[in-house]
Amino acid sequence: MELRELAELVVKEALRLGADEVAAEAVRSVSRQVRFANNEVTVSKTWDALEVHVYLAKDRKVVGTSLANVQPEAIRKALSDLMSLLAVMKERPDYAPLPQGPFDYEPVPGLYDERLAELSEKAIDMVEAAINKALEAGGKRVAGTFAFGEEELFLLTSRGVEASDRKTKAELVVRALADGESAGVGLTCGTRLKDLDPELAGEEAGRYAKLSLRLEKLDAGRYDTILGRPAAAVFFDIVAGMASAFNVDSGLSCLAGKLGQQVASEVVSIYDDARLEGGLGSRPFDDEGLPTARKPIVERGVLKTYLHNSITAKRHNTSSTANAGWVVPRPWNVVVQAGDRSDEELLAEVRHGLLVNNITYVRFQDYAKGDFSAVIRDGVFLVENGEIKTGVRGLRLSDNVLNMLRSVRALSEEARQTAHWWMEWGSPAVVTPLVLIGQVGFTVPTK
Amino acid sequence: MKDLADMAVELAVRLGADYAEARFHEDSANFYVLRNGVPEMAGFDRARGIGIRVLVNGALGFASLNKPDKALLEQRVREAISMARASARTRKKPIRFSEERAEEASWEARAREPMEEVPLEEKMELLYDIEKVLTDRAEVGVQVPFRLLELIERTTERYFVNSEGARISCRVPRVEFFSITTAMEPGRGTEQDMVQKGASKGWEAVREWELLEMLKERVKRLGVVLREGVSPPKGAIDLVLGSEVVGLMVHESCGHPYEADRILGREAAQAGESFVRPDMLGQRIGAEIVSVVDDPTLEGSYGFYLYDDEGVKARRRYLIKNGIINEFLHNRETAAALGVSSNAAARASGYNREPIVRMANTFMLPGDYKFEELLEDIKLGVYIKTFGEWNIDDRRFNMRFIGREAYLIERGEITRPVRRPVLEITTPGFYGSIDAIDENLAFDAGTCGKGDPMQGVPVWFGGPNVRLRKVALGGL
Repeated sequence: MELRELAELVVKEALRLGADEVAAEAVRSVSRQVRFANNEVTVSKTWDALEVHVYLAKDRKVVGTSLANVQPEAIRKALSDLMSLLAVMKERPDYAPLPQGPFDYEPVPGLYDERLAELSEKAIDMVEAAINKALEAGGKRVAGTFAFGEEELFLLTSRGVEASDRKTKAELVVRALADGESAGVGLTCGTRLKDLDPELAGEEAGRYAKLSLRLEKLDAGRYDTILGRPAAAVFFDIVAGMASAFNVDSGLSCLAGKLGQQVASEVVSIYDDARLEGGLGSRPFDDEGLPTARKPIVERGVLKTYLHNSITAKRHNTSSTANAGWVVPRPWNVVVQAGDRSDEELLAEVRHGLLVNNITYVRFQDYAKGDFSAVIRDGVFLVENGEIKTGVRGLRLSDNVLNMLRSVRALSEEARQTAHWWMEWGSPAVVTPLVLIGQVGFTVPTK
Repeated sequence: MKDLADMAVELAVRLGADYAEARFHEDSANFYVLRNGVPEMAGFDRARGIGIRVLVNGALGFASLNKPDKALLEQRVREAISMARASARTRKKPIRFSEERAEEASWEARAREPMEEVPLEEKMELLYDIEKVLTDRAEVGVQVPFRLLELIERTTERYFVNSEGARISCRVPRVEFFSITTAMEPGRGTEQDMVQKGASKGWEAVREWELLEMLKERVKRLGVVLREGVSPPKGAIDLVLGSEVVGLMVHESCGHPYEADRILGREAAQAGESFVRPDMLGQRIGAEIVSVVDDPTLEGSYGFYLYDDEGVKARRRYLIKNGIINEFLHNRETAAALGVSSNAAARASGYNREPIVRMANTFMLPGDYKFEELLEDIKLGVYIKTFGEWNIDDRRFNMRFIGREAYLIERGEITRPVRRPVLEITTPGFYGSIDAIDENLAFDAGTCGKGDPMQGVPVWFGGPNVRLRKVALGGL
């Protein structure tokens, strides 16, 4: 069954059953992945999926479903079950109707590359190139994943929206280990084959792993810190996720109540850009069918907007920002405005501090206040007088989101699109340079 | 689609696979959400599909599809085989699977009160009842500006078949409750509490959890900590850790590092590796009184299963026995690599995920102390009953837990609440500092994440209350 046919079946049947409003998003995807570890491929995978996601409203009540069983009889049964569920739901005081279409959508350039869609076994050659480069640069054991594929989407609503989109995407992560613990990571990603540089990713991973071999022990304390691009991507994903109005209204954001306020230093501007050429998260329309746009979340340190769908916008007495998510509004591409100096010049500004290339395992003690800690890895270095001196092991980043945002001193000039497997709030990608933050907190185990 | 699973295995063998397996899943999840008293989108996810795995020339290929289409199935099986064949050239050492008995079985977890027989109204009403209590200051003694409450019911039906003759069917219903509450006290800030409960049962589990009373009590305690919590003491002190803390600590610092795929480096790119090496089996890691097991066979548990997703019969695994590293968690690939048999730790979160090494229900075995006996000779200490923030490094050596509900222990008695004590400790530091374990074993539920793409699987973690000697609290 074609995507249009599937979406039409859902909308027609839901209206017949008595729904006031319905949206159906049919998605077909073929994705592939080559995983590797210890310099060898560990498994190759192919996923073939056809799914339909349904939003259904009646009498100011909202229900929904995701169906990976798209046989017509299964769809009819699911819609009938949704109607039964609606009957016992209570009205939403913040209910807002879906946007009234139709709308015109300007395609986003650079989102589909046939060569990427048909890569198949050539992917293994690219993985081998990345592994070999990481080994040449000083890695001893190399692991990673190369994921790539294509996705086609068709959105139909009972409010006159009809929209479709097709894209390819690829992400290669390479992690090299020079011994049991000294590690480095390199990433490359994009929507076109030409966006990918497996050898650069391999070289960065191997180089950082080798640089981590000489170690120095540091005490807990506050250090001027440069976040590498993987670390900065995870950090700014948190900030953008906390701008989602759902999280603001759920006690999961330290940006609550701060619209129009200075939440970051003046050098920080963060945009949500669904229209980024070649952006992994680019989309001409959101899940409600509204045309998307580029917008500032934070501009010169001031919080400009939360991210909204129609319902959260109604709750906040404003307009949707075209970031639906039927439940949780979400950023499309998070773009951090680059600074005016090279990576090396940024490093030169650190007298005694740290370079933290990657962070993972982010956990909050208090989302509402922004207190969190994170594991730091894949290249953590002591920087003395602008130069990397030694690797550092055993520290943990322990600070506060707002405190870090307000302490950003400078950013480098080269922003790169960075996909990361640990995106706390699920941004598809963050375009970020290196970021220098003053006096970031780090702790150590006591026993 | 079961017949397509059989067909996939036959086809793969005919096309040259040395080994082939297929899993057909029919999975559903119904969810009900209340956010600050507003019913967010309720609904369900329903998935049905087949995952196929092949071993060809010592390399693995995997494919999944959800369209019941024979031609598409054949295309994907061919692709899995050709990709495996192409990647075999990168392997210096071919992948092999351990020899295991080809089981034929059918098993299930039984719900005494199946969720589908409970009226929808009753499920939503439960959330509204909780909401009512949490927003009544007279009940909880503190302002609770944010409440996110979620009830989820899941069912998984699986059929496993492989080229060695194994055929296993199962059906498992699961129920889960999740909440995040934020308590606020003017001038004292906020404290948040997350709760996850889960069981392979029906509505009877919801009754057993006594959610209303439990959440009321926890939020009350948040208020007390907010109003009266003092700073934690400095210097080396004694600690008593509650079973909720101990449970997650053993999951993170014993379960994960004993996963043999991490030990062998297969997860190095994302989840990471392990501080444990294969030659550490038999070495001491903790005090004689410490034993940690992982047991999928606990009836009603959230991580319950009787056969894993490679068709191997499940059993209890002793990870740490009397303080000695005793056993790792294995699937058939890691077992063959280390020359042992699989202990049935292969799990896949859905039809579209490969089975990888996972925990099920990981817990420290209880001791024979009474809780009061843990406290009685402590001059100055801290009892950390529940936690908020936690994490552990990718080798599972350096971990941190911050107390949520915690108290000062003075001269053998619990006295005042303590706010946010930071326990930052190495794994050997933790196991080596335990000197007493009480008899009160309790479990909590979680969704354990691992792999890329991410696979979340239901687990329990549990433990008794334990005492640690001479540990300094951390933080800045």
